Amino acid sequence: MNNSPVEQVFLTYFYISLTVLSIAVISSRNIIHSAFFLLILLLHVAAVFLMLNAEFLMVIQIIVYVGGVLALFVFAIMVMNIKEELRHRRFVKFAGAGLLTGLLFFAVFYSVVKNSRYDFVTPITSDTVSFGRLLFSYYLLPFEILSLVLLVAMVAGIIIAKKYPREEK
Amino acid sequence: MINDYLLLSITLFTIGLIGFLIRRDLIVMLMCLEIMFNAVNIAFASFSYYSGNYTGQIFVLFSIAVAASEAAVGLAIVLALVRSTGINHSDGIKNLRG
Repeated sequence: MNNSPVEQVFLTYFYISLTVLSIAVISSRNIIHSAFFLLILLLHVAAVFLMLNAEFLMVIQIIVYVGGVLALFVFAIMVMNIKEELRHRRFVKFAGAGLLTGLLFFAVFYSVVKNSRYDFVTPITSDTVSFGRLLFSYYLLPFEILSLVLLVAMVAGIIIAKKYPREEK
Repeated sequence: MINDYLLLSITLFTIGLIGFLIRRDLIVMLMCLEIMFNAVNIAFASFSYYSGNYTGQIFVLFSIAVAASEAAVGLAIVLALVRSTGINHSDGIKNLRG
């Protein structure tokens, strides 16, 4: 089974735009520009979720990532008050080795993914009701443990970032 | 087909990995972690779509929650590091006991 032409057009668009946006995130000189490119990238990923019939995940992606995580990033940039980003260098000394590692990783995974097939019966329909039924029946215990993880992360974030009074020598 | 979505996923993951390895700024390294999380989420959602059950989408939900807590703790660590030493680059950290 092949893609429909509309799906192919959208897939090509998302492939090109996500690649360009992620390269822009890792190569822009100003950190706040990186944050804005990351904002557009997260919205595009939300649209990819919508193409995969996962509209609940699209909403969660926009609420949690764009509304929570990205706001946290912008807030951290504001608190740290980073100004001197315009003159110093962006990459570490051994950037070539990192690039080579990444390209090797891509080559290995591309050789696996290139011919992958999945003989599916029917793709899922977008159905938030059965998603919620599965989440609150079979996956109830992981869901509750996840709330504990979020609570511990919140407390840890507050304690680590707290401003301690300076010690007297 | 599923290999289009998987190709998109590994491309995003590779770019995030390269960015994590070669950038100096700690905040941009955390942003690359978010890119890698998103790539894995696309792979999960595409497997869920093509196999016809919702377990992959539930794993995406869990992964988003873990990514949110990871961003909170990571940014708190970077903030504490910048406050105590004034360093915000990964190759400027030279001693373990600040």
